[in-house]
Amino acid sequence: MRKDLISGLVLLAVAGIYYSWSGAIADSTLSDEVGAAGLPHALAVVLAILGTLLIGRTLLARKPRTVTVDDSTDESDAGLPRAVGFLLFGAAYVIVLPFAGYVIGTALLIGGVALYEGAARNWTVPAAAIGGGVFYWAIFVKLLGVHQPVGSLIQGLF
Amino acid sequence: MTTLLDIIRLLTETPLVFVAIAGLTWGILGGALPGISASITMALVLPFTYTMDPAQAIALLACVYIGAEYGGSIPAILIRTPGTNSSAATVIDGYELNRQGRAGEALGISLMSGVIGSLFGLAMLILLTEPLSWLALAFTPASYFGLGILGLSVIASMSGGSLIKGLAAAIIGLMIATVGTDPISGVTRFTFDIPDLLGGVEPVLVMVGLFALTELMCQSGSTTVTQLNQKIRIKLPSLAVMNKLKRSQFIGCILGLFEGLTPGGGGSIAAFMSYNEAKRWSKTPHLFGKGSEEGVAAPEAANNTVASTALIPLLSFGIPSSNSTAVLLGGLLMHGLIPGPRLFEQSAQVIDSIYVGSFIAIIAQIGVGIIILPACIWLVNRPRPYRAGFIFALILSGIFTLNNSLFDLGIALVLGLVGFLMRLAGFPVLPMILGVVLGHMVESSYRRSLVLSGGDHMIFLQDPIAVALLSIAFIFVAFSLSRELREARKAKIEEVPS
Amino acid sequence: MTLMKSIGAAVLGLATIAILSATSANADPLPYPSKVVTLVTHSSPGGGSDVFLREMSKYLGKYIDATFIVENVQGGSGAKAMARVATGPADGSVFYATTPTYIYTSLMSKPQNTYKDMDPLVNIFADSEVIYTRTDGPFKSLQDVIEHAKKERGRWGAANPASLERQAAEQLKRAAGVTPAIVTHEGGGDMMLNVLNGTLDIGIGEIQELRSQLDAGKITLLATFNPERIAEKPDVPTVKELGYDVSLVKFRGLAGPKGVPESTKAIWDEGVKNLLADPDYKKAYTAEVLVPQLIGQKDYPAFINNFGASTEEFLKSTGAIK
Repeated sequence: MRKDLISGLVLLAVAGIYYSWSGAIADSTLSDEVGAAGLPHALAVVLAILGTLLIGRTLLARKPRTVTVDDSTDESDAGLPRAVGFLLFGAAYVIVLPFAGYVIGTALLIGGVALYEGAARNWTVPAAAIGGGVFYWAIFVKLLGVHQPVGSLIQGLF
Repeated sequence: MTTLLDIIRLLTETPLVFVAIAGLTWGILGGALPGISASITMALVLPFTYTMDPAQAIALLACVYIGAEYGGSIPAILIRTPGTNSSAATVIDGYELNRQGRAGEALGISLMSGVIGSLFGLAMLILLTEPLSWLALAFTPASYFGLGILGLSVIASMSGGSLIKGLAAAIIGLMIATVGTDPISGVTRFTFDIPDLLGGVEPVLVMVGLFALTELMCQSGSTTVTQLNQKIRIKLPSLAVMNKLKRSQFIGCILGLFEGLTPGGGGSIAAFMSYNEAKRWSKTPHLFGKGSEEGVAAPEAANNTVASTALIPLLSFGIPSSNSTAVLLGGLLMHGLIPGPRLFEQSAQVIDSIYVGSFIAIIAQIGVGIIILPACIWLVNRPRPYRAGFIFALILSGIFTLNNSLFDLGIALVLGLVGFLMRLAGFPVLPMILGVVLGHMVESSYRRSLVLSGGDHMIFLQDPIAVALLSIAFIFVAFSLSRELREARKAKIEEVPS
Repeated sequence: MTLMKSIGAAVLGLATIAILSATSANADPLPYPSKVVTLVTHSSPGGGSDVFLREMSKYLGKYIDATFIVENVQGGSGAKAMARVATGPADGSVFYATTPTYIYTSLMSKPQNTYKDMDPLVNIFADSEVIYTRTDGPFKSLQDVIEHAKKERGRWGAANPASLERQAAEQLKRAAGVTPAIVTHEGGGDMMLNVLNGTLDIGIGEIQELRSQLDAGKITLLATFNPERIAEKPDVPTVKELGYDVSLVKFRGLAGPKGVPESTKAIWDEGVKNLLADPDYKKAYTAEVLVPQLIGQKDYPAFINNFGASTEEFLKSTGAIK
């Protein structure tokens, strides 16, 4: 149950950080008796207790008990780097969007993810990427009228 | 005075039919796009209604609302992304059915349950607006606290094995809900001087992060490539199936009715609670979470009911109980219509066209669903690399629409990572989502009640509605705990021989 | 003194009418340096400022020669909309719809661009802020409410936390020397329910949100925080008349980026004056109980700065900001 031990420690850390952040909440006479910081303090304490319980339960269990059914059975820890890598495409999208603009950014995201997920390296990838970028642009920008970023790159051209 | 002739005239008038179907289709599209909530879908169309005839404009908005509440279930089932807040509960079993290759069935059930919920809601709106509106008035801050706690009590049965982990997830959800402007004093909390955080973290960001992004990451991380060969067909439930589902649909309708009347999560509380109740009263509760048809029917009946019953407090008091009805209120005001008792006398035509338009939209929903759903199923069955790229881009584009903010994209990505790690460590995500959805309501109504009573907790025991709701919550928790303990013991006994 | 004042007001009123009728005869719209003017609001489509802008832009084109479009920049309680306008071009093509919210957000959340980074252009309206109670309740006047609050714990409602209504409630509390509980809500509708069901003695909010229940006779107005009585409700006294020195102006106007040319600003002064006299528009805004309150470019910056300073002082005194 190493996972539970780590989880418990993470919960304690979250509780601690959250509690210290809640110190920055202003104390106003417009507030009530509970106060703006009242619930945050209570939540931090309860989370710390839960974290402690989780750690305690893990340490007290002498021999590795059969794990209660959880839904993590089909994912292994080995997938973690790959999965985080997948998420990095999203982070890159957020960074690229203001420069490249919506259509190009979206096309890059679709193409990049497709290659990452093992699409065959042929003409389909760029075609789907560009097609997808234009398609989403048509839906979100043209049809729904959302102001997706134009991109400084595109703006510079005109 | 409304006569049958008026209704027939409205029914046969081409523009209203056109308006209703156009509104419905637009609503389904908007609702189905992740991140674009029912209220945004309505807000996007609002400026266009400005130049329309008032009766048609309002009917259009009402039909968009109906469509959007339904549309949210499509991505919930197909790509584990709730299109709207209130379709989060549909994700649980809807996506599970999809994984089993039964997407067509799940979509059919959600469509028909939605239609039933909408029809029930509309009937309540037409027949019982007057008495029900006074029920809405009976809710005091203490009652809202009771309602919020009742919603949170669902966590006990949604923790999937480990109560400690479930509670911890719920606390983290509640922590996320405290970000933003304090509901009582107005001071900022955990905003770090970032303007994007002033309004708090939108629940839909948390849902998209925890459900959809986590799922995409898991698929990317999993070594076994699963490619389902889904039948690209929508399967409407047979009469026998409908008969089996009627209890869960009934539960959904009743809970949806009440949530529509009261300001709150705009359908999400009703959806979660009806899921929970359908499970409790089901003959096959063990199927819940593993692909239960009832698990789709109940929340879908509930959130579609809300789309009609939420109009009751709006039309009778001018009080919007959700963001979506707030947009509808804006639509009414733009046309110089003031909701309230006199609206029914002075602008009977507007009221009639809401009723008739909604009715047309609900019936048309079946047809529109049958046409567009096969295309949706086809889309999500493209080869995995492309599907992943398109879904990722769709989700990120949708989230951006919320506030035109790249910061929101960052929040969703971080929550995706959190959700993934939670899965690895065996933490359930549903309690966290409930915490985010209900945190604000529980905290503000609790503190508001104490301000009213001068710090005396007796206020919660003096309010009959609060007492009733809190006792039900208490019974629920006790019931779930005892059942969980029993099952755990049983599981242990069974494991011993092996 | 009172007589002199009212005569003065009457003369002033007549003079205004004379000026208005003289100028509104001008059929031609005033020439304007930019073709399209974007009016930015932080409110969502259908929200208060959004409805105000859309309604106004219907008529504004008659008096100022430009096309007016409304843009909703939501998020951050106005912080984003302020950033959009403060960093926008100062050629008169973009303006922000001001309400007290933008002052509160500037002070409470300290965003990068605050109200101080914009030039107030012109004020157009003031919303009517009122104290109301349920008609079948025990209170018939503001005095009843204050008396009740002296004897036992009163329960007053304010529409939003840290808002102008909240400030008014706190000031009234001090002026009357009572200590009722002040319960804040998430908007006026929420609060109205609690007034109707008797949870609250009174509510403090905008008259617009009460219209349906006022019409239905379920709600009675006890007083208004407006400096003057409301023209449509002449029987409702002002809080000041009742002996509590509290009055407030919930303004609605426009502000632009710093450096909008004086000549452009002058067009707005003239244009808005003509706009307010438009008979159709007048009918529309009178129905919404908006009180026209034209404050031109000469006085508006001082008005906004005053408002900002007094709000800041209030928030500091309560500890809400440092």
